[in-house]
Amino acid sequence: MTRSTLAPNRRFLLATLALAATLTASVSALADTTLRVFSGGANQRPDLMRKLFDQYTAKNPGVKIDIETGGATSDLQRQYLSTVLNAKDSSIDVYMIDIVNPAQYFGAGWLEPLNAYVGEPAVALKPYLPVYASADVVGDKIAAMPAFADAMFMYYRKDLLEKYKLAEPKTWAELSAAAQKIQKGEGDPNLQGLSIQGAPIEGAVCTFLLPYWSQGKDFNDAAGKMTLDKPAAVKGMKEWLTLMDAGVVKKNIAEVKTPDTVNEFKAGQVVFAVNWGFAWDRFSQDKDSKVAGKVGVMPLPAMDGGKSATCVGGWQWAVSAFSKSKAEAAKLVKFMASPEASKYLAAQGSLLPTIQSVYTDPEVLKASPWFKDAANVVIAGRSRPQSERYGEVSDAIRTTTSAILARTKTPEEGVDEIEGRLKRVMR
Amino acid sequence: MNAPSTWDRIRDPSEKTLAVLLLAPAFLLLALIVVYPIGKLIWNSFHDLRLSGGTGAVKFIGIQNYIDVAHDKDFWNAAKNTLLFTVITVPGALVVGLGLAMLANLPFKRRWPVRLALLLPWALPLSFVGLIFAWFFHTEYGVVNDVARRLGNAHQTMWLLSPGYAFAAICFAIIWKTSSFMALILLAGLQMIPRTLYEAAEVDGASKWQQFWQITVPMLMPSIIVALIFRTITALQTFDIPVTMTHGGPGNATQTLAMLIHATTIDYLDVGYGSTLAVFMFALSLCVTAVYLRRIGRE
Amino acid sequence: MSTRTLDLPAAKSLFASPFEGPGLRLIAAAMVVFNGFFPALWILLTSLKGEAELVSKPITYWPANATLHNYIQAFTDQPLLRYLGNSFWVALLATVSSLIVSALAAYAIARLNLKHRQLILTAIVASSMFPLVTLLVPIFETMRSLGLLNTYIALVLPYTVLNLPVCTLVLVSFFQSIPKDLENAAMIDGCTRMGALVRVVLPLAAPGVFTAGILAFVNSWDEFLLALSLNSSATMRTLPVGITLYQGEFTFPWPIISAALIVAIVPVAVLIAIFQERVVGGLTQGGLKG
Repeated sequence: MTRSTLAPNRRFLLATLALAATLTASVSALADTTLRVFSGGANQRPDLMRKLFDQYTAKNPGVKIDIETGGATSDLQRQYLSTVLNAKDSSIDVYMIDIVNPAQYFGAGWLEPLNAYVGEPAVALKPYLPVYASADVVGDKIAAMPAFADAMFMYYRKDLLEKYKLAEPKTWAELSAAAQKIQKGEGDPNLQGLSIQGAPIEGAVCTFLLPYWSQGKDFNDAAGKMTLDKPAAVKGMKEWLTLMDAGVVKKNIAEVKTPDTVNEFKAGQVVFAVNWGFAWDRFSQDKDSKVAGKVGVMPLPAMDGGKSATCVGGWQWAVSAFSKSKAEAAKLVKFMASPEASKYLAAQGSLLPTIQSVYTDPEVLKASPWFKDAANVVIAGRSRPQSERYGEVSDAIRTTTSAILARTKTPEEGVDEIEGRLKRVMR
Repeated sequence: MNAPSTWDRIRDPSEKTLAVLLLAPAFLLLALIVVYPIGKLIWNSFHDLRLSGGTGAVKFIGIQNYIDVAHDKDFWNAAKNTLLFTVITVPGALVVGLGLAMLANLPFKRRWPVRLALLLPWALPLSFVGLIFAWFFHTEYGVVNDVARRLGNAHQTMWLLSPGYAFAAICFAIIWKTSSFMALILLAGLQMIPRTLYEAAEVDGASKWQQFWQITVPMLMPSIIVALIFRTITALQTFDIPVTMTHGGPGNATQTLAMLIHATTIDYLDVGYGSTLAVFMFALSLCVTAVYLRRIGRE
Repeated sequence: MSTRTLDLPAAKSLFASPFEGPGLRLIAAAMVVFNGFFPALWILLTSLKGEAELVSKPITYWPANATLHNYIQAFTDQPLLRYLGNSFWVALLATVSSLIVSALAAYAIARLNLKHRQLILTAIVASSMFPLVTLLVPIFETMRSLGLLNTYIALVLPYTVLNLPVCTLVLVSFFQSIPKDLENAAMIDGCTRMGALVRVVLPLAAPGVFTAGILAFVNSWDEFLLALSLNSSATMRTLPVGITLYQGEFTFPWPIISAALIVAIVPVAVLIAIFQERVVGGLTQGGLKG
């Protein structure tokens, strides 16, 4: 063949190839993005999250979402994530992390800042509870968006308070008097006046901060520097020890973890219990609960002359810095943090809403009427110290608090130790 | 004579080739799995490598980490606790393990209950042994205090809330779990002792104790040394049981070196310092077991 | 020496133990059985209780209303059978792999005149002297780059390395205790060195081989950190990791976890019961002349 006769054939071939390439490109552009979401264990309700994901994929056909559950607790999760994210793994796109983690994970370079996708903090976080403006924001970057909230409440035996004609105590001293009256009246040696968490778990950080905060003190300033008021901290811890000496709090409180308080209260062995929001459903709906219908919930008492303060918990959505589909992931996070999602989780799972307006939504109140009272508590809730080195902060506070409650350290020694350890960490 | 063909060399290789062939799989695997990680670990220890809360950059700082460790009172506390655990639980597990092994060796009519009881502690996942024993030693819900109460002792010891008792409880749990390991190795060793030796000693009029010390123990020495080497190495790395029983508490009273390393690496994300601590642990393990290893190599 | 038939009174004196008399022996045996079984028994009883019963004062031993509900939930909350299967295969493959690799290495160390014997032995044992938590990330990176994440091999290879020190040393000490003449005799009869290893040494060191095997199996069965990091997908998870998923941030359902633990222990216990004869050998140990 001569060159001239080849030319049309070659051109035809090229044209076909070009057409094929364009078709392939446009087909792959229409192909599914698969997002992998790392969710926690049973307490983070992966079943409800799955339903929300299905709602999302129905509205966004090009996206598939897989859930990976790993790490049932915050500690186990961190064990897994610290390996995987340390290795800059790109297999997971969206994480659900504890409220105390954004600063540390963002500082480690594991989270993608969401400002470009959801807006600047002042605007994007306005509808949410005030605590998230500090918990989810590092510097001026949004590190995570709220998934659902949680806070520590004071649960109590409404029936016992009524029986002894006692009002809801507003201070720890009042609580102590009320508890002792009930304990003496009931004559049950196994009846605890108050149950708190004294074991060296994350919740012990709250046990330390609750009486401290309610004296109106801050643990750190806005810049993250520690502003520990030592006498106030000592006074706070001494409050717990006084309750122990009065027999209101049991002597081995340093062995008590969150599930222990719940189980003991459910069995009718406790008058007042400090616990997270999930406990309400357990007390009122569990089949083996002996206290169903007898439970009241109120804000935590304050120190004398102080104001009630509570610890905010809950979980956040974050986008992995190593994700290959950041824009899609951020879009999913925006949806999961939206008022609609928050309302769904509140109505279906009794998970505390992250957005103030949802607390007064009639549908939500029908499912969980107690949210009306809960709202004020959560809105006034405070976040634990946000630090890039939160691991060390938490460790120092929780182990020392537990040691003080185990009476192997005096409050003065313990507070000195906390200050000594954290002085360099929270600069 | 023809020079040996390759096939001949494979079928009946010289000592040197054989040595290489036999050791190759082991060293290839070691190279693949641990050489790079250990190298990286040592490299990390010479750098300021904090994933979060640091300067963000990876800075070479020479031996500064090592100096910091030497001045770190948490390190010395953890090292002290670790050595204490080691000194108590290694001989403890050996003695209990030896007793168990000899018992399991006896000619009972049905041997399997004793043998199974011997090895069952091994079947329980390590991560839960600590939780189970924490339950046993719980002030209110624990079996230990319940039995004490039934025996008339009204005082409820708060086992895990006082440093001394917590230490004891943890040692108990560790010895319980690891004596099976020791017993297993010693049992196999016991089997290799020819019974003719005992027969001869019996004829010579040696007592049971004499037979034990002059036949059993010396013949068992190789197995004892092997068991001791690994019990010691794992004792220096004690982590799972104390962390689930007391989380290092009360305070730091039961925190071991491995717990400190775990917290530093995973909770504090301070990889540089954590690696340095790991090198210290390695050095400690090497020193302690060097003596044992020399004995095995000598034979 | 003539071969004696086994007669019990004489046999009792063979194993020079300080335990005198059948009564004391039985007591000691009972203590051993109690010691080994009690925690497992406790877990078994807990698995039949409801969670509320666990905070009753005084504590109860026997369940008030025994129920199998926890077992049902253990199997439905998590794919427990899947975890069991994964653990079993990983442990089995790791055991076989560990035995082969360490038997070869142990033979070389025990029998061949190696120049750097001490160093080789130390190198093998030294690999276990670093805490695994500090080696996790590089091992993860290696497995990821080999594309092996979430496979059985991802765990079998590191487990072989983890078991290598113990298995090798156990086998070295067993090989060393077997007289060389036996192998020499076999080789004079025309066996190659490898043949001698397989046909003479291994059978004689059978207790050692089964010991190393059980050690490798239980070590691999128990392992947590690597399994957590490397095999994180729900279908490839192993048992120790799976069992931690029954708990929650605020909940720790002991009854259900106990049920899962029993499911985890039973196969291993059965295996041990079957192989304990092999490990211990019989009272008549052939081939070892006085």
